Amino acid sequence: MKNSQIAIIIAIAVLIGFTLVNLGNSATYSSFADASLKQGETTTVIGYLNLEEPMSFDPKTVTLTFAAKDKKGNASTVVYNQPKPQDFERSEEITMTGYATDSAFVATNILMKCPSKYNEQNEVDSDKIYK
Amino acid sequence: MNYIGEHLWAAELGRGLTAFSFVFALLSTIAYYSKGEGWKTVGRLAFRVHAITLFGLIGTLFFIMANHYFEFDYVWKHTSLDLPPRYLFSAFWEGQEGSFLLWMFWNAILGWILTYTSKNFEGPVVGVFAAVQAFLVSMILGIWIGDYQLGYSPFNLVRELPENLGLPWTQFEDYLTRFPNFMDGSGLNPLLQNYWMTIHPPTLFLGFASTLIPFSYAIAGLLRKDYTSWISSALKWSVFSVGILGVGILMGGAWAYEALSFGGFWAWDPVENTSLVPWLTMAAGTHLLLIQRNKGGVMPSVLFLLIITFLLVLYSTFLTRSGILGDSSVHAFVDLGLSGQLLIYLLFFTLGSLGIFLARYRGLPKKEQEDRMDSREFWMFIGALVLLISGLQITLSTSYPVFNKLFGPEGLIHLYDENKVLNDPITHYNAIQVPFAIIITLLIGAGQFLSYRQTSTKLFFQRQITTLVSTTILTGLSAWALEMWNPMYITLMWTSYYAVIANLEFWIRWGKGRWNFAGASVAHVGFGLLIAGALVSNANKDIISQNRTFIHEDFPANENLLLSLGDTVEMGKYWATWSGQNEEGYYINYELEFFEEIDGKLEAAFNLSPRIQLNERMGNVAEPSTRHTLTKDIYTHVTYADLRTEEERGTDEWKNEFELELNIGDTHFLYGKYQLELDTLVVDAPKAGSDLQYAVLGAGLTITTLEDSVYKVMPVYAVQGNQAQHVDAEIKELGLKFSFDRINYDTNKPVIIASEHTEAEVPFILVKAEVFPWINLLWLGSILMAVGTGIAIAQRVKRERK
Repeated sequence: MKNSQIAIIIAIAVLIGFTLVNLGNSATYSSFADASLKQGETTTVIGYLNLEEPMSFDPKTVTLTFAAKDKKGNASTVVYNQPKPQDFERSEEITMTGYATDSAFVATNILMKCPSKYNEQNEVDSDKIYK
Repeated sequence: MNYIGEHLWAAELGRGLTAFSFVFALLSTIAYYSKGEGWKTVGRLAFRVHAITLFGLIGTLFFIMANHYFEFDYVWKHTSLDLPPRYLFSAFWEGQEGSFLLWMFWNAILGWILTYTSKNFEGPVVGVFAAVQAFLVSMILGIWIGDYQLGYSPFNLVRELPENLGLPWTQFEDYLTRFPNFMDGSGLNPLLQNYWMTIHPPTLFLGFASTLIPFSYAIAGLLRKDYTSWISSALKWSVFSVGILGVGILMGGAWAYEALSFGGFWAWDPVENTSLVPWLTMAAGTHLLLIQRNKGGVMPSVLFLLIITFLLVLYSTFLTRSGILGDSSVHAFVDLGLSGQLLIYLLFFTLGSLGIFLARYRGLPKKEQEDRMDSREFWMFIGALVLLISGLQITLSTSYPVFNKLFGPEGLIHLYDENKVLNDPITHYNAIQVPFAIIITLLIGAGQFLSYRQTSTKLFFQRQITTLVSTTILTGLSAWALEMWNPMYITLMWTSYYAVIANLEFWIRWGKGRWNFAGASVAHVGFGLLIAGALVSNANKDIISQNRTFIHEDFPANENLLLSLGDTVEMGKYWATWSGQNEEGYYINYELEFFEEIDGKLEAAFNLSPRIQLNERMGNVAEPSTRHTLTKDIYTHVTYADLRTEEERGTDEWKNEFELELNIGDTHFLYGKYQLELDTLVVDAPKAGSDLQYAVLGAGLTITTLEDSVYKVMPVYAVQGNQAQHVDAEIKELGLKFSFDRINYDTNKPVIIASEHTEAEVPFILVKAEVFPWINLLWLGSILMAVGTGIAIAQRVKRERK
């Protein structure tokens, strides 16, 4: 067998290896309920900010505490040890990566989706029409 | 109805030119692929007409944007009256439609050049260009076929958008002057109002467009079964592509580092990844083209890499423009509903090109004899293979959203029940890509000491004694100076220094320092420095704004520091003061003064002003401010600031209400500043047996400040029947208020509520500061890579002329 063919076969093997490693490494989007069953394990939860519950940000310790609901409706208190993201209240959806503890879900990373991001609707205020 | 004030001629002109451009691109494709010289002339003519109408349509769009014709949706969305004219270009390619036009613009220019330079390959080469252009123009056609809209035109009027059809306001012929919405557009996103947005997209799209040239030559070669005569033309253009695409990608990194607060120059975001991957495969393809020209025998791999590079550009287009990345990327485009069309575009070229490749595979020239393990070409081949695997690994990991669509819960083929996601992409990619970088830099170095065909082992080591010794010494010194002892990192540092020194040595010893040998060497030195810079600046990144407040053992260490106005705080080896802020247009600048301790005294070192951009569309955005020095950068950004106006802040006079239950003699440390003690409880109540039913209670409080000032107050709580009254006590000097709220009947303790006056709060910001050591190596490397590829192209062009 030729050297270059051997190299290609090794390359393909490496790639298949990565695919398997990837599958092993990847997590699934989970819910707060799933997360609390596996306390301490890193998971990603997509949910919404629950503005009816109090939200607090303590700048001295840089701790943001808020209430969130995941897509299945499970509620949880979330603690985030980073500065409060700008316009956090306006977020439409938040993707929280972190782990569950007895008392709260500790988020290590938060991505938020804002309604106005890039997408601007040219809406004409129709109330003004009949004036 | 005739609407007043609309510039319908522009709409008609724009759409007309789009349609012509599309038709002529199609015509050019068909003509170029028909047999005969006459057809070739038709194809060329059609391609040029296509290009001219395309330029006309771009000009028309520029014109309506420059003149702010706000009845056009694209104009309304991307410009505004107060947009400085220098940002007109940025506004032009802010949206999907405009960035498609930018891409087509470069394709048209490159295609036009090829009508002169590709000579007898013109037919199949420019034919591929015409076909690609036909697909691209179709993305902005905006023609309705039944209920399906083919493409999305930048010349759509606002009143013609499906969501506005039939709305009451469209019944007014003077709607443009009647409704204030049409007086001004929403404008270019302030985040994109900087010079990076002017230079980064054109460079990147020129890079994307240039990948089409080697692809077209490969297709042409396969169609004609000619596997020799196009190699040097393709090589020249593929070097160009590697150079420009590389510069485009690195500009994106520089933008992220200079103006965005991603915390570095590379974040492994899907959009970044999918532009890096074609560069990796193009670099691999270029090196294989070199082997093919010098020695031959790698034609199947050359064709495969040139084809897959363009296909990966298309895949990248599909990912970033179809909306599929949605959750996982911060800067993908908005979905315009083009995903179907994009998919057809992707599938057409994937099936077409790979189909021809497989059909011709058996007839491809193969190796006459096996490469020796000690030949340069064997290891270049291995290097190309590693680049390809590295690229495919990134593609695989970036494609989770696609896998979820295909095999996930709502997928076509249901394989798993829950969508998959990468929890920590940066760690994931770094862990896998660092070993690849080690192999690549090792090969870049070692390759310089190998000869084509074969090299004797003795010679191989003899040649590089100096390089090996100096690399090892330099690595040792760096590791010692940086205290970097991670074996993986030290290995990468060694291999990247090795690549740099080996190429320098090669150029000096064998190239005798002449410029016409410099291209490859300079580019390789640049790549080595880039990797070394990326490694050192990232692995040795020092977050100097550690917050030492202990919260909980489970919580990660905090990387943000609180700066009160005027306070001086220790930050690494510096001391920092937030001395004030000022507003400037969209921005609030926060002035930070840094001091260094010299002989026990604080000396002013430098000032930085990170800022926050007030951005109504995207949300407010923090922009970093960086102190650049030769050996390190100090990078700061404001991670939290109170942006409320005074009005918003002033709604509550009292805040931080705090409830205390105290026995007489109890003390409490209040707000981290005051010592509070309940001295006495004064009670006035009628004597037993009296008819009167009331009680007046006073709580005698002593407040001691940190400066030992003592204040005494007595809030009063009075009850008569079931009515209660409070007389609150205030300490004006401290901005404190105490209220005797009630008696807790369970514990029999008085309950006091303390609150702080709003003004008493000292303003503060949170700042994150990082030191990136030796990041200048990265930029120096980037510049050298660009210069090196430039020299290489100039050399090839010069040699061809001779």
